[in-house]
Amino acid sequence: MRLTRRAFWLLPLLALPLPLVLNQYYQYVVNLILVYVLVGVGFNIVVGNLGQLAFSNVAFFGIGAYASAILTTKLGMPWWLTVIPAGLIGALAGCAASIPALRGVRLFYLAIMTLAFGELMRWSYIRTPVLTGGSMGLSVPPAEVLGWTLTRDDQKFYVFLFIVVVVVVCTNRILESRIGRAFQAIKNDEKAAAAMAIATSRYFLLAFALSGFVVGIGGAMYAALVGHLSPEAFDLVQLIQQFAIIMVGGLGSLAGSVLGAILITATPEIFRDWPGFEELMFGVVIVLVIMFLPRGLVSLLARIHPVFKDRFYQDD
Amino acid sequence: MALLEVEGATVQFGGLTAVSDVSFTVEPGTVRALIGPNGAGKTTLFRAIARDEQLSRGSVRFRGEPIHQLTPNEVSRRGVRRTFQNGGLFGDLTALENVLTGLHIEIDSSLLGLVVGSKRSRASERAATRRARELLEMMGIGHVADQFARDLSGGQQRMVEIVRALATDPPLLLLDEPAVGLAPPVRLELLEIIRRLVETRGTAVLLIEHAIEFVMTVSDSIMVLNNGTLIAEGTPDEVRQNREVLEAYLGR
Repeated sequence: MRLTRRAFWLLPLLALPLPLVLNQYYQYVVNLILVYVLVGVGFNIVVGNLGQLAFSNVAFFGIGAYASAILTTKLGMPWWLTVIPAGLIGALAGCAASIPALRGVRLFYLAIMTLAFGELMRWSYIRTPVLTGGSMGLSVPPAEVLGWTLTRDDQKFYVFLFIVVVVVVCTNRILESRIGRAFQAIKNDEKAAAAMAIATSRYFLLAFALSGFVVGIGGAMYAALVGHLSPEAFDLVQLIQQFAIIMVGGLGSLAGSVLGAILITATPEIFRDWPGFEELMFGVVIVLVIMFLPRGLVSLLARIHPVFKDRFYQDD
Repeated sequence: MALLEVEGATVQFGGLTAVSDVSFTVEPGTVRALIGPNGAGKTTLFRAIARDEQLSRGSVRFRGEPIHQLTPNEVSRRGVRRTFQNGGLFGDLTALENVLTGLHIEIDSSLLGLVVGSKRSRASERAATRRARELLEMMGIGHVADQFARDLSGGQQRMVEIVRALATDPPLLLLDEPAVGLAPPVRLELLEIIRRLVETRGTAVLLIEHAIEFVMTVSDSIMVLNNGTLIAEGTPDEVRQNREVLEAYLGR
């Protein structure tokens, strides 16, 4: 059991030689997948683990991306020093997004309020051109890491891979502790969780902040990857894509977030040469996975080995 | 001084009085049962003690300190643990993890400690896991430790829930219909567990139960609630003889 779990961490090692075999374009797609791994991992904390219908994820993503971009362009900070601040600002956004839930808003009411938060942020990017460049967008200089400038995508790949591994390992440690158990307890039964002396409000706040932190770091990576941020990148279509990642991958599963990020990011890119086909295939993939693997791609892994048995939405 | 002192407890919902001026105490090392017909206000009274419900009037003291203004998780933290009428297990967690949630406040791991993998956080999580496994084994359900709670049988779920409530060795245990739906041998087992707990650890137990034979055997004293008021109180034998109780509750 233990060994197989460890084996999962071999995955990043296997990814190390990827730049040797990939062309420039596919390297970009792989880097984008790494961004969406963090987006999925963060989103899943609130939706899959805490069990709340909160859709503020694109807000966290945009805030992290703009935070990093503004810190580099306006304050002249090197990109690598903006990663943690982008996470922390994302965490602050997470705290703000948790306010409705802390006041007892749940389910569809929480969904619409958090959706509104995302749209409000998109409006804010347009309306504060001094900081964000408004609807024209904001160009960021090539990312700089410890004095090195990342001009090529294979260079970004190694930096991104390092960040993703560190963040996913840390998240995993938290989710497997009493903190992670408290999240799931709240998802199953808030009253019973409180009866276990779990300070439920605190864990609501913590889950949203943690989610904002992880997704905010994903945002900083996104800024470095695309080099130009514009408000429409953080619209409702983006939210649907992010939601698809955790649904297709598997709710409440770290491995699921990774698989979902790979499939949802790669699908439209593979069919890019056939115009109109990419959206179609995006839809087809979601429908097929939900039809045949309602618990997400991670349930496929569970058939291979019980260690991947999706503990949250179990496939019997 | 009694462990739990309920004084003049009244719970009103709008114009309806669910619990009316109820006073009683619970002493350490005793089992008190609360019986009465459906709708008598038993569970409401329980919920008021655990702070899921607001008292309209009256007070609840635990170890001499008022607890009727605290939040439910603070009441639990002080040492009042409970089980739920319809089962409050976390279905997506294993039996072991359920017991670990019971130990939540005894685990000394912090966010930062977990992230950097500090010795203290890891040791504390490991020690709690060992303890939870021991507790399940002591109750004879060690073999289900790694199964998801939702996959367990009704009897196993009840046992896990009781182990979870007991994990921190709380001074007071509130059990809401612990015997309902249990097969007779399991009921007997539960009865022995409760008696052993009370006699060896000095735990106080307050329980609601409809299974009358179970109540008569397990309890040191019984209170009868009807229409929100206490109509009788005494040893099982005294309550059995009480005319008012027979009329109100046993329907004679």
